[in-house]
Amino acid sequence: MKKRLGTNRIYIENATIIDPYSHNQFASSILIEDGFIKKMGKQIETQPHMTHIDAKDYVVSPGFVDMHAHLRDPGEEQKEDIESGIKAALAGGFVAIACMPNTKPPIDRPALVKYILEQARKNDFTIICIAAMTKNLEGREISEMGLLAECGAKGFSDDGKCVHDARIMYEIMRYAKQFSFLLILHEEDSSFSENGLVHEGYWSNKLGLEPIPALSEELVIARDIMLAQKTGARIHITHVSSKQSVEMIREAKKQGVAITCDTTPHHVFFNHSCLQTFDTNFKVKPPIRGAKDQAALIEGLKDGTIDALATDHAPHLFQEKNTTFASAQFGAIGLETAFQAAYTKLCLKEGMDLGQLLALMTAGPSHILGLDTMAIKEGKKANLALIDTKIEKRVEKKFFSKSINCPFIGQTLASEVVCTINNGKLPYMRECDRY
Amino acid sequence: MLTGRSLLRSDDLSVEEIGLVLKNADLFMEVLERKVKKVPTLRGKTIANIFFEPSTRTRTSFELAAKRLSADVVNFAASTSSLKKGESIIDTIDTIISLKVNLLVIRHGHSGVLNFIAKHIKVPIINAGDGKNQHPTQALLDAYTIKKKFGTFSGLKVAIVGDFLNSRVARSNVELFSRVGMEVMIVAPPMLLPSDYTVLGVPVKTAIDQVIDHVDVVYMLRMQFERQKRKLYPSIEEYNRFLTLNSARLQKMKKGSVVLHPGPVNRGIEISEEVMDGAAAGNRILIPDQVTHGVAIRMALLYLILSQQEEA
Repeated sequence: MKKRLGTNRIYIENATIIDPYSHNQFASSILIEDGFIKKMGKQIETQPHMTHIDAKDYVVSPGFVDMHAHLRDPGEEQKEDIESGIKAALAGGFVAIACMPNTKPPIDRPALVKYILEQARKNDFTIICIAAMTKNLEGREISEMGLLAECGAKGFSDDGKCVHDARIMYEIMRYAKQFSFLLILHEEDSSFSENGLVHEGYWSNKLGLEPIPALSEELVIARDIMLAQKTGARIHITHVSSKQSVEMIREAKKQGVAITCDTTPHHVFFNHSCLQTFDTNFKVKPPIRGAKDQAALIEGLKDGTIDALATDHAPHLFQEKNTTFASAQFGAIGLETAFQAAYTKLCLKEGMDLGQLLALMTAGPSHILGLDTMAIKEGKKANLALIDTKIEKRVEKKFFSKSINCPFIGQTLASEVVCTINNGKLPYMRECDRY
Repeated sequence: MLTGRSLLRSDDLSVEEIGLVLKNADLFMEVLERKVKKVPTLRGKTIANIFFEPSTRTRTSFELAAKRLSADVVNFAASTSSLKKGESIIDTIDTIISLKVNLLVIRHGHSGVLNFIAKHIKVPIINAGDGKNQHPTQALLDAYTIKKKFGTFSGLKVAIVGDFLNSRVARSNVELFSRVGMEVMIVAPPMLLPSDYTVLGVPVKTAIDQVIDHVDVVYMLRMQFERQKRKLYPSIEEYNRFLTLNSARLQKMKKGSVVLHPGPVNRGIEISEEVMDGAAAGNRILIPDQVTHGVAIRMALLYLILSQQEEA
């Protein structure tokens, strides 16, 4: 048996390339050697002993970028660690992921940034380390943002928590502005969300589940837009979930505020009617909201108000989810289903152009994070995702992630990641294509 | 028709099935009037009462219903807090199933817990109250009490008064009462309602005085101070002013109209002391009937679910 994974020469023949970085769509073959795209064109002279992929039925995209994942490392490696997180990412077509700092302990000190980046290097994978904005994510004192950045932190966030003290948030923004740092903001007013479990609406009432009103998110977004206006800070609102949030951000962009945002595939794919079964994999924060919110998110993605799709990959142990709705942890894994879910919903049901979806998963997040372009051209590092858009598959309880808390289990999703090329190597290929 | 089935929500039962349960309750009411209040119908069956939340009347009612049908009853009480993890709930349930019981009666403080348990086991379950979600047997016994009094449901005006937001009784009752043909309205201030109360699909009034003189049934909800994690309602005095059933309001009630309450009554909050004690109330207050009917309704359900069932 010939082993395909990890060969240093890969030939992708007859690819349909969609490259959101260069806004190009074209047919070409690609020769990859020693990590780089060596040659592109219709006819490339091939040599023996190279991995040959016939891509005539596939789309080739730059590898995906996830700007919001929880790798649970350090501290909760039973849920996920950097290595398993990378495997899950590669299986989903991702070649770069931003990891959030709410680990145990949180990434609020330089040594932890170094630890994360060292693990990334060992695994030959791009991790964008997001460090805490406040010490111990407590929202009280600003973290050593300068020192953390010098060690390689590429952005700051208290994700999982919200800075409630408006003055502290203002000072964080002023300080971030000094360095031109990116702030990734989890917006949640806990006076509205405490004890809450699900979106406030028909289903929270019908099922007697404690509600989290959309106001919880909207109030803080309104505040932070004002603060960003005053300070000129560069802010990114993550996992936007409500209609009014999208509208406020759209308006702020018009007024020139340096604001971007993302939403997740599960907020786009589902609305709160999914709660009927009390399946705790739908217990996420922010909650999956109503049909109007869902429609507004889709509209926001289409018109460019929402700049990126991010997974908010949040692994939890089986026993933390195999319980009552009130006792279960918030969060869902998403790296391995992100593209398929988004493609099924956005492209097939909502008529979004595949190129636009790919932009939301590549150039969109990449620009926000300030990464180098991953355009598909000669001389660039080879970071690609090959996608089969013609297949349909039921999502099974089988993941590269250590956790299985996936809300898409049981859903039939269109498309599949055929293989992922990461730094010129082929660390992931779907089962049916391995030989 | 109900053989081997679970009852998790009031809308698990069709109108026809509700009628069947009420008809059977009539038969068992007759048993309860006898000198020997026991029939051998469920001899050899075992029913487990599993209460993760404290309860006196519902648990006793189920226990008595089972015993009067000659079933064996095991009671299992545990505090929700000592069984925080789902694993332990499942372990508990598995243990009880291993004891070869035929039916589970479960109460738990978390909404939806029965849907979770039902995924793991095949034994029929009766919901004895889950969180703020549902309390279907309460809705059935309340409907039965109303039926006994008025002989019909159609056209009856029912006002459900008080803390809708935190009440599983209200969720089951509004659903079931509306479906059998009663005209339901809710009386509650905004902080005791879902923020968008159009989702309820019934009219909402804010004070008891707006309805007291023209409804047939005044259904007082327990003011669930224990479920109000944040104290959003101002005070008992405020409650008395707008929502309490006191003697003055009792006087204004329509001829033949009645008062129900799921119990236990917070005296001086939902219903004033004088109304609870006074002869003035006459036969309007049907709270004792509700308790008696509760046993008959639960006998009917246990009978319908278990009597034809094959041994597992």
